[in-house]
Amino acid sequence: MAAFDYAPAIVLLPFVSFLVALAGGRYLPKGGAFGGIAATAGSLLLSAWVFLTVSDGNAYNETLYTWAAGVGEGTTTLTFGLLLDPLAAMMLLIVSLVSLLVHVFSLGYMNDEGETGLPRYYAGLGLFTASMLGFVVADNLLMAFMFFELVGLCSYLLIGFWFRQEGPPSAAKKAFLVTRFGDYFFLVGVVAVFATFGTAKFAGEGSFPVLAEEALRGGTEVSTFGFAPETWFTIVGLLILGGVIGKSAQFPLHTWLPDAMEGPTPVSALIHAATMVAAGVYLVARMYGFYALSPTALGIIALVGGFTALVAATMGVVKREIKQVLAYSTISQYGYMMLGLGAGGYVAATFHLLTHAFFKALLFLGAGAVIIAMHHDEDMWNMGGLKDRMPVTYYTFLSGSLALAGIVPFAGFWSKDEVLYEALVHGLAGSPLLLAGYAMGLVAVFFTGFYTFRMVFLTFHGEPRTDVARDPHGVRWNVKGPLVVLGILAATIGFVNMVPVQDLTGIHLEFLHDWLAHGEISALTAEHYGELLHDFAGYSAADVASYVAGAVSLALALAGAGAAHVLYNVPDPDEHTEKLGAVKTLWYNNYYQDEYQVWLAQSVVLPVARLADKFDQGVIDGVVNGVSSVSLFAGSRIRRVQTGDVTNYAVLLTLGLTALLVVFGLMGGWFA
Amino acid sequence: MVPVQWYLLLAAAVFCIGLFGILTRRNALLFLMSVELMLNAANINLVAFSAYWGNVTGQTFSLFTMALAAAEVAVGIGIILVLYRNFGDIDVTLAKEMRW
Repeated sequence: MAAFDYAPAIVLLPFVSFLVALAGGRYLPKGGAFGGIAATAGSLLLSAWVFLTVSDGNAYNETLYTWAAGVGEGTTTLTFGLLLDPLAAMMLLIVSLVSLLVHVFSLGYMNDEGETGLPRYYAGLGLFTASMLGFVVADNLLMAFMFFELVGLCSYLLIGFWFRQEGPPSAAKKAFLVTRFGDYFFLVGVVAVFATFGTAKFAGEGSFPVLAEEALRGGTEVSTFGFAPETWFTIVGLLILGGVIGKSAQFPLHTWLPDAMEGPTPVSALIHAATMVAAGVYLVARMYGFYALSPTALGIIALVGGFTALVAATMGVVKREIKQVLAYSTISQYGYMMLGLGAGGYVAATFHLLTHAFFKALLFLGAGAVIIAMHHDEDMWNMGGLKDRMPVTYYTFLSGSLALAGIVPFAGFWSKDEVLYEALVHGLAGSPLLLAGYAMGLVAVFFTGFYTFRMVFLTFHGEPRTDVARDPHGVRWNVKGPLVVLGILAATIGFVNMVPVQDLTGIHLEFLHDWLAHGEISALTAEHYGELLHDFAGYSAADVASYVAGAVSLALALAGAGAAHVLYNVPDPDEHTEKLGAVKTLWYNNYYQDEYQVWLAQSVVLPVARLADKFDQGVIDGVVNGVSSVSLFAGSRIRRVQTGDVTNYAVLLTLGLTALLVVFGLMGGWFA
Repeated sequence: MVPVQWYLLLAAAVFCIGLFGILTRRNALLFLMSVELMLNAANINLVAFSAYWGNVTGQTFSLFTMALAAAEVAVGIGIILVLYRNFGDIDVTLAKEMRW
């Protein structure tokens, strides 16, 4: 397959653009932007080629480079390789397309606004894209982990792009540390996978999900360190889930994401739509064959997801800054994806990942356009009435908002509905955990509709509330172009998977199901995952018509949007959330999660660290220092032999010679 | 023929005189002379045993020792000159900088 031979270039092209921008960005026009655009466009074309090849029923799962070969029995070999299956092919398209559009948008947001340090910016974007693409095509868990970390590093570099201001460096550090905390568990999980299975490959003969399945079926033996295999696989899965929760900003490690808004807006779009945050959910989907073996892990994923979806949505209701609202919506939407994965809706969650990538990139880029127009004022209460002054931004942003709120027929409705539907049918079939997740997801739908349209109405409708909003700064083609592309996608991408419509009318409209259900690597198909869920997790589906569930969530979304319309779509809206009183304060302060975590760090971790420090300084260093002080003391005394006086040396030489003679004499028996 | 013990006694005496000089004197030139004495005490031993065994190797080595002593004097005088230049005297107890 020729396309697969060129597949490594998908990752390498943005990496080259990173090197070019870093080394020669200051000599290039636009700070190296064109290199990045060309590289991501190349990646997009190659991804499309790979996509077409995969759609012919091909797949690719090869090791390309062995960087640490295990020698002998019981050792492991560490490799880099490519795994290109329907899921990876789809994700490659998403990442390279969003990245290309973000590069183009950056021309308007960074270059036209006269920012400095652009080579650094474009180098960061290039490396970010390359790491995410590398993560997507990774064929084993260790390689995935390495690129996962690179993604985290790039987010640090880009969130802290304006490092001379006070906020961004601290937000960058927070993002890095919080995700790092989750990655710590991930790393332990990777080691556990190696220790258990001796391999970390995702697919093929002897890959770890296959081995785990065989072990549970009683076919092969793996070392489970004294646990029952089910328990041990759950533990390993939860360890890896730590990394996912950190990167995908799930409760309780979501606190870094709202702060990450300090970065440039195109970077926010990239982080939230296609890279970084998507990496976590993608990882669970990538090794779904492993998670499907553990009902406990699935239940926890679903519950964390549903809870996060609800909690984040409530916080989004009261925010003042447009990007903050979007940040909480991201957390909430990734909560839905986790809920979908936990509920056994592999296709549904992947679908939501796809639609969310487009509509959230759209919303962030739209917010970026608004921020340009408002001269970098992000407070929605200073906006208003922008819809007549920037119609392209308004209509595309509206398309994204309808998708986010889940209003039919925009993309978000179909995917979110399917996630909730999966949670409902599997929950009704006897899993109260999933039903709890479903309930929380359903309530979150109402809040999502409300905060989305509160944002739209405050920003674009009513009377302008400031002079800047009366006469906004114009935006050029490089801002409008990406918005239009994404606006159309956000409105239409739902057509790849309209299950309720298919159920109602009988027209075949579930292309994504078909896409993921079959494939050359049968262990990576949705069909196989369905069997695993049935056999091991005990999931079965209750009979609920998909359009009924869809109608319920649509009604809630419309109710939320309607409430926002009544309250905020007036010429001069009031801050109605003030009426919530203490609840508003609680939400505005993010349930005091930041304070709680700071408290945790200061009152629990710090004393423990102090204690450890005392032990280290006192006992460990004490022993070492004791040994060295003995020799220091001895040395300081003995060195006084070296007086520098020649006569003394002569005396010592003579005495030494005499002593030797006496010793020889005694030993040799001269005096006997 | 003089028995070899007398030579040895002579050599031991000369050596001890040299050693005594090194241990008690402070003048660097006297040091040098004392070292010469000790070297020549060794030479006496070499020549004495050479004659005793009828083997010329010992005498050859004593020639080497003399050459070595000459070289040593050259170096030693050089050191003494530097000593004088730095300390204004050739008292060896003055040069005590190289110590703990």
